[in-house]
Amino acid sequence: MSTSTIQPGTLHRPLTAGDVAAAAPLPDILPPVRARRGLIGFLRRNPTIAIGGGLMLLIIAVAILAPLLWTVDPTALAPARRTREPSAMYWFGTDMLGRDVYSRVLYGARVSLIVGFAVAFFSSVIGLTIGLVSGFVRWADAIVMRVMDGIMSIPSILLAIALMALTRGSVGNVILAITIAEVPRVSRLVRGVVLSLREQPYVDAAVASGTTTPRIILRHILPNTLAPLTVQATYICASAMIAESILSFIGAGTPPIIPSWGNIMAEGRALWQVKPYIVFFPAVFLSLTVLAVNLLGDGLRDWLDPRMAKKV
Amino acid sequence: MDRRSFLMAGTGLAAAGLSAPALSQGAAARTLRFVPQANLANFDPVWGTQYVVRNAAAMVWDTLYGVDAQLVPQRQMVESEEVSSDGLTWTFRLRPGLKFHDGEPVLAKDAVASLNRWAVRDPMGQMIRAIQNELVAVDDRTFRWSLKQPYPKMLLALAKNNAPCSFVMPERIARTDPFQQITEYVGSGPFRFARGEWVPGAKAVFEKFADYQPRSEPASWLAGGKRVMVDRVEWMVMPDAATAAAALQNGEVDWWENPISDLIPQLRRSRNIQFDVADPLGNIGAFRMNHLHPPFNDVRARKAVLMAISQEDVLRALVGDDESMWKRLPSYFTPGTPIYSEEGGDLLKGPRNLDAARRLLMESGYKGEPVVMLVAQDQPITKAQGDVTAEALKKIGMNVDYVATDWGTVGSRRAVKTPPGQGGWNIFFSWHAGADCINPAAYTAIRANGDGAWFGWPNSPEVEAKRDAWFAATTPEAEKAAMAGLNKAAMDHVIYAPTGFFTFYTAWRRNVSGIVKGPLPFFWGVSKS
Amino acid sequence: MFAYALRRIVATIPVMAVVALFVFSLLYISPGDPAAVIAGDQATPADVERIRASLGLDRPYLVRFGDWVWQIVHGDLGTSIFTNLPVSTMIAQRIEPTLSLMVITLILAVCIAVPMGVVAAWKQGTWIDRAVMAFAVLGFSVPVFVVGYLLAYVFALELDWLPVQGYTPFARGIGPWFQNLILPAVALGGVYIALIARITRATMLEVLQQDYIRTARAKGVGQRGILFLHALKNAAVPIVTVIGIGVALLIGGAVVTESVFAIPGLGRLTVDAILRRDYPVIQGVILLFSFTYVLVNLVIDLLYTLFDPRIRY
Repeated sequence: MSTSTIQPGTLHRPLTAGDVAAAAPLPDILPPVRARRGLIGFLRRNPTIAIGGGLMLLIIAVAILAPLLWTVDPTALAPARRTREPSAMYWFGTDMLGRDVYSRVLYGARVSLIVGFAVAFFSSVIGLTIGLVSGFVRWADAIVMRVMDGIMSIPSILLAIALMALTRGSVGNVILAITIAEVPRVSRLVRGVVLSLREQPYVDAAVASGTTTPRIILRHILPNTLAPLTVQATYICASAMIAESILSFIGAGTPPIIPSWGNIMAEGRALWQVKPYIVFFPAVFLSLTVLAVNLLGDGLRDWLDPRMAKKV
Repeated sequence: MDRRSFLMAGTGLAAAGLSAPALSQGAAARTLRFVPQANLANFDPVWGTQYVVRNAAAMVWDTLYGVDAQLVPQRQMVESEEVSSDGLTWTFRLRPGLKFHDGEPVLAKDAVASLNRWAVRDPMGQMIRAIQNELVAVDDRTFRWSLKQPYPKMLLALAKNNAPCSFVMPERIARTDPFQQITEYVGSGPFRFARGEWVPGAKAVFEKFADYQPRSEPASWLAGGKRVMVDRVEWMVMPDAATAAAALQNGEVDWWENPISDLIPQLRRSRNIQFDVADPLGNIGAFRMNHLHPPFNDVRARKAVLMAISQEDVLRALVGDDESMWKRLPSYFTPGTPIYSEEGGDLLKGPRNLDAARRLLMESGYKGEPVVMLVAQDQPITKAQGDVTAEALKKIGMNVDYVATDWGTVGSRRAVKTPPGQGGWNIFFSWHAGADCINPAAYTAIRANGDGAWFGWPNSPEVEAKRDAWFAATTPEAEKAAMAGLNKAAMDHVIYAPTGFFTFYTAWRRNVSGIVKGPLPFFWGVSKS
Repeated sequence: MFAYALRRIVATIPVMAVVALFVFSLLYISPGDPAAVIAGDQATPADVERIRASLGLDRPYLVRFGDWVWQIVHGDLGTSIFTNLPVSTMIAQRIEPTLSLMVITLILAVCIAVPMGVVAAWKQGTWIDRAVMAFAVLGFSVPVFVVGYLLAYVFALELDWLPVQGYTPFARGIGPWFQNLILPAVALGGVYIALIARITRATMLEVLQQDYIRTARAKGVGQRGILFLHALKNAAVPIVTVIGIGVALLIGGAVVTESVFAIPGLGRLTVDAILRRDYPVIQGVILLFSFTYVLVNLVIDLLYTLFDPRIRY
C-alpha cells in the first residue's frame, strides 16, 4: 500500500483480507520459472493461482460429488452409536447424535462454498450498483456514503450476528446478513474507481462529446473496475466463509439440521477435550478452503494488477 | 527446574512483587467457587422465575416454611402456626431474633407484604388469593391469613421449592409491583448478596451473613438449620461446558453444578474430582403441541406423536450412554415419588410402532401441511429433543418445518395463538424439573383449562376435574387415586408428550464436603479444606 | 490543522446518527420478546403481556427511538431489562477484560509482526520471506476459534502451563492477569499479525527503493540502521493506519475469543444480550464499539500529520 492510497479524511473501512490485498504485493512463495505458453505456462508463471485454484477445484469436486464418495445420509441419527472414535466404519467418527462426521464434513463443503460464492456475487453486484450511483449522482453520493460509513463502523461480525438475531436461521439469511456487512466495502471501492476515472482526460472528452452515461459506464468504467472487483470478490468469498462458520459456531447461523462446518464444530465444542475429532475435521477443511480462496485472490491480484507487481 | 515450575515461579514472583496482597491460604479455603447452570442475569425471584434465580435467591432470602428431603413442609422462619378447626383461619408466629441483612428485625408486616407480592405471581398463591378474606399482621411477630374456603395445601404452598418461592423480603422492597423488578437485594437468609461484585453474565458473590440464626435441627434441603461453613460463595458463569470442565480439573473452581454427562469419564479420571447425581428428582422433557390448530387439534394426531417418539433416542442424545442417568417415562409425573402413577401411559411403553403411528396420523385427517417446530438451539435439552423428534416425525410422514431459534424467541413465539402460518407454531420443547412434577400443586404444564392453560392451550374438563380431585384429597390414598386418574386423563387427551426422565450429575473437587442431592444446590453445610 | 480536526470531528456525527438509527431499528423489528424470557417458563400469556407493558415495550416506534436518543445525549444508555442495572454500569464492569485483551493483542501483534515484515522485506525472495508470507496467508485462513481451541488444548490441558479460562483483574497482580490473557491474545492476534506483517513488508519494500535510502546507503549507514531508522520511520503511516483499521477485526474477534476462553468482557456481554434480547444492552454495546472504531480512526487521521510531515491540511 503506498501512502497515496490512504486518504486522510475518509472513514476507513473495517479490514478484510482484500485490503491487504491491495496492499501487499506478490508473496513469492515459489521461485519464478521460465516463461511458457498455454495454460501450463500461465500456471507456472502464476504458481499462487495454480495452488489456490487447484485446491479450490478439489474442494468443489468433493462438494459436488459428496454422495458418491462413500458417504451416508449426513443427517441420519443413531443415538445408540454416538461419539464413536474414527475407525474403518466411521472415518471421522460420529457426533453426539450418532451422525457420521465424514459425511457431514463432505456435505458441509456445500454450505461453505454456496455462502462464500453467493456473498461474493451479491455483494459485488449490489456494491457495484451503489458505487456507480454514488459516483455519478452527486446528490445521492453524500447520503449513500454516510449510510455506508455508518454500516461500516459496526464491526461486521457484530452486524451479521445482530441481523441474524432478527430472522430465523437459514442459508439465505446468512448470505443476506453477511452481504449487508460486505456491500459498503465494494461500493467504496467502485466509487473510488469512478471518481478517479472521471478526472481522466479521455473520460472528460467522452462526456464533452455527449456520450451517454450508460455508455461511459460500459466503455470506460466497467472495464477498469472489473480487475479490482474480482480480486475484492475473492477475498469477500474467503471472509464470508469464515463469517458463516463463526455465526453457526455461536448459534446464530445456518440451521443446525443442515450440516455446515460451523455447525459441526459448534456441536462438537462441548466435547473437544474428550472427542477432539468432531471439531478437528471440519476445522481443517474450513481452514484449507479459506486458504485456497486467499491464495487464489493473491494470485489474481498479482496477475490482474501488473502495476502492483511491477512496483516490487 | 523444568519449564513449567519456572513459569510458575516467575509468575509467583510477579504476583508477590506487583499485586495487591493476594488472598491468603486460609481465605482461599473459605471461598467456595461454584459454576452455576446458567447466568444470573436478573435477581428478583418473584418477578423472574428461572431456576437459576430461584437457586441464588434461596441463599439470600429465607422462607416461612421449607420442604425437607422427604418433601414434607417444615417450619423455617415460623416458630409455630395454628389453624382454626374449620380450616379457614391460619395464624403464624415468627421465630424471635430474625434479622435482615441491613440489621432491621424481620416483622410480621414484612411477611405479609412479601406474601401479597408472591401470591400474584405463583400458581398456588393465586389459588389462595382467590379464596382469601384477609392477610394481616396482628403484632410484630404474628400474622393471620383468613380464607373463604379451606386450603389444605397451605403449608406446601409456603414451603415448596418451585419457583416462585414465597421468599420474605423487607416490606419496603416487597411493596414493589410484582410485575416490576426489585432493585434492592436485602433478605434474611444465611448469605448476603454482594451487589457491588455482581457482574451479570460472569460472576455473582454471596457472603456469609454473620447475624443469621440457624434453626437447631440438622439441615435438610430448605428445612432445618442452614449453617454456613464458608465466608464467601463465588458464582462463576461459564457458558461453555468444555471450559468449565477444564477449570474444575485445574482447580480453578470447586464445584460445577451441571457437568454434561459426556465429560464425566474425563472427570472420573481425575483423582481430585468427585461427582454424584445432582437431583434424584431429575427433569422431565416436554414435547409441547398446539391444541388450537391442525394437525394437533385432533387427539389422534397427538396420539400418533406418542407412538412415534422414541424416548430412548431422545434420552441418549440428551444425556448419553450412561443408562443410570435416564429412564423412559410413560407418565407425566416424577418417577420414584410416593404418589407416582403410570396409569394410561401404554402408548409410551414397548417398542415403537411407526406404521400404526402413520395410520393414525392419516386417520386424523393430516394432509402433509407443514408442521412448525420451534427448537431453541442455545439450550442443550431443547436442542436434543428437537433434533431427535424431528427425525421421528418425518418418518411417520409429517412435513416438519424445523425452526432453529433461541430460547428467547421460543419464549415469545410460543405465546402466539394464531395459526402456524401466521406467526404461530405447532410444536415447541421445554422441560420441567422433577421437583415440580411430583404432584399437580405447582405443575402449570399439566393444566387443561383452555385459554388459561400453559402454552398449547389444551382443553379438557376431564383433566381439570381430576386435578381438582387431588387438591381436595386429604389422605395419601385419596391423593394416589387422584394422581392415577389425572395421569390417565392427561394421557388420553395427550396434554403434551413427555420425552423421558433424565438426571444430571454435579461434580466437585475432593476438598469440598457436605454437598447434598436436591432439586437445587444447597450451600449451607458445604465446607472446603 | 485545527480546522481540519474540527471538520473531521463534525463529520463523525452523521455517521454515528446512522449507526444509532440502524441499531435501534434493527432491534425494534426483532422478533424476540424479552418479556417472555423474563416471565419464565411457568408464566401465563397474561403475565407476559403485563410485563411487556411494564417495560414500555408496547409503545410506538418513534416514541421509543426519541426516548432512547434523548437519554443517550444525556449520557444515559438505559437500563438492562434483565439485570435492572444501568447499561453504562454493565459496560464499565466488562470493559477491563476486553480492553486488556485488545491492548495485549495489539502489543503482541506489533512486536511480532513488524519485525517479521521488516525481515521479510530485507531478505526478499529468500525462504525467510516465503515463510513469513506463507504464515501471513495462514493467519488469515484459520478461524480464530480454531486457533483458540488448539492453543488451549496444547498449552493449558496437555502441557498445563497456563490457565484454560477466565480472567484475573489487573488489580490482583500483573502476573496472573497476563497468564490468563496470553493464550486468547495469541489466538486473537493471528489475523492481526498476518495483516501487519504483510503491510509492513510491502511498505518497506517500497520505501527501500526510494532515493533517500540509497543516499543513506551511499553515506555508509549500516543495514540495520537503514531498516529500523530510516525505512521504518517512513513506513509508519500505512502501518499505523492498518492498526487502526484492524480495531474492527479485534472487536469482532473478541466476541468469539471471549466465548472460547470464558473471559467476562464486552464480547460475551454482547452475545449474551443478543441471545436474551436485552435491547438496551445490545444498543449500548454496538454503539460503543462503533464509536470506538470511529474515534480510533479519527485519532489516526490526526496523527498522520505527526508521522508524515508531507501530509498537510
